[in-house]
Amino acid sequence: MIISQDKPFEEILELLQDHRTIFIIGCNTCASKLHVGGEEEILTMRSGLEDAGKDVIGWALPTAACSIRSWEHLAEKDRSIEKADAVLVMACGSGASVISRVTDIQVYTSNNTTSLGGIFKGEILPDQCKMCGNCTISYFGGICPTAQCPKNLLNGPCGGCADGKCETDPDKDCVWEMIYLKLKEMNRLDLVEKIYLPRENK
Amino acid sequence: MHSLFQDKIRSGSFVITAEITPPKGTDTTKAVENADMLRGCVDALNITDNNRAVMRMSPVALGKILKDRGHEVIVQMTCRDRNRLALQSELLGAYALGIENICVMTGDHVKSGDHQGAKAVYDLDSVQLLSMIRKMMNGSDLYGNPLDSAPEFMVGAVSNIDPGQAMQMLKFKKKILEGADFIQTQAIYDPDLFESFMEYAREFKVPVIAGIIPLKSAGMARFMNENVPGIHIGEDLIERMEQARDPVHEGFEISCEVISRIRPICQGIHLMPIGQHLNTQRLLEMAGFSK
Repeated sequence: MIISQDKPFEEILELLQDHRTIFIIGCNTCASKLHVGGEEEILTMRSGLEDAGKDVIGWALPTAACSIRSWEHLAEKDRSIEKADAVLVMACGSGASVISRVTDIQVYTSNNTTSLGGIFKGEILPDQCKMCGNCTISYFGGICPTAQCPKNLLNGPCGGCADGKCETDPDKDCVWEMIYLKLKEMNRLDLVEKIYLPRENK
Repeated sequence: MHSLFQDKIRSGSFVITAEITPPKGTDTTKAVENADMLRGCVDALNITDNNRAVMRMSPVALGKILKDRGHEVIVQMTCRDRNRLALQSELLGAYALGIENICVMTGDHVKSGDHQGAKAVYDLDSVQLLSMIRKMMNGSDLYGNPLDSAPEFMVGAVSNIDPGQAMQMLKFKKKILEGADFIQTQAIYDPDLFESFMEYAREFKVPVIAGIIPLKSAGMARFMNENVPGIHIGEDLIERMEQARDPVHEGFEISCEVISRIRPICQGIHLMPIGQHLNTQRLLEMAGFSK
């Protein structure tokens, strides 16, 4: 799941300052689950924009903003999109990029995309993967140090770790502590003994 | 040039190093004065690299200036601000300027400094940086391309000293395996803990230089306990600082007691007073080191 958050409404208004006729596109996959691009958020955005004097001529909620079949497919449900002078995408950066490819109408996004994460038992889990292209998760008990250690370390914790907590946030468990406990439980501490080479940035 | 610091490290002699922080600006007068106060009483000056992620002058530049004034220098090199290209070119440049001692560390995260929105690089970690330096010293860059001339550094690294922290000890071990010539520690206030670390470290046969920060007040002790990772100042010491009529002197007394306990079991001390080195010479005299 791509984790995104909504931008401050003032920033969205600033983005749209040269436009009057707006069409909103949400995303019924990640952004909807995170409540930053589902139907309810689209309707709230619509009334906010209308209160600010914009003309919201329609909206759409594709299954996934990042997986659009064609402009035709997007437009066939609501032809008013063709009269819009701006499209506001309430989805991640990937969704906004894909929609930009299928239209000449200027595309804006209402969201800031922050990480590749997930949801487990209702709790949002950010930074589960950094998409580095060198997956090492199999060596670390399924916990990714590249994504979860703010210093992306591969050979153990930094000296900033105190009482099992991260240097950057005393409320965050040090990922190396988590990896250690998991591998210890699995009786696989040999995996952290290995010296890992620098990752090849892709 | 002949390096006395390197000779001492290699021969097992006790060394004294002191921390110097580069200026936040272009004027090196104060840093030079600070260094000059230590002339003759320490073996090397250890120059920080944007410590606490606060932007300051390059330690390589200050290192060159101090070296030209006859000081032996150790330049710290963190992984925070440079990718693998920049680290290597900085190291080659440092060596060409006469800097022969490097101390490698991960580096405090940018979130603790004065440029919180900076990109935290960490392209390599400290273990990988040590390994890369070893490669460069053997005549090639990280990717195996030959260097037309190779640097010959003495390379130190830093370590936590709590043997109860398995992952920290594992990291220590990896640093030794990747060729750290000496290990510098965070400030020591608990000689018993340091002793147990030395028992663990003994088999790796690496020179250990123990960090010393003289306490100035009980408040400073509490602040460090809360804010500086890897520092544990016992309540008994805080109590002593609280009761002391002259807390600065008491802080020196405590440092001297720690030094006398650890001196027989490690290979050096690294002095990191808060502020200038105005009293470092006095501390060394109190601790029984003659100039």
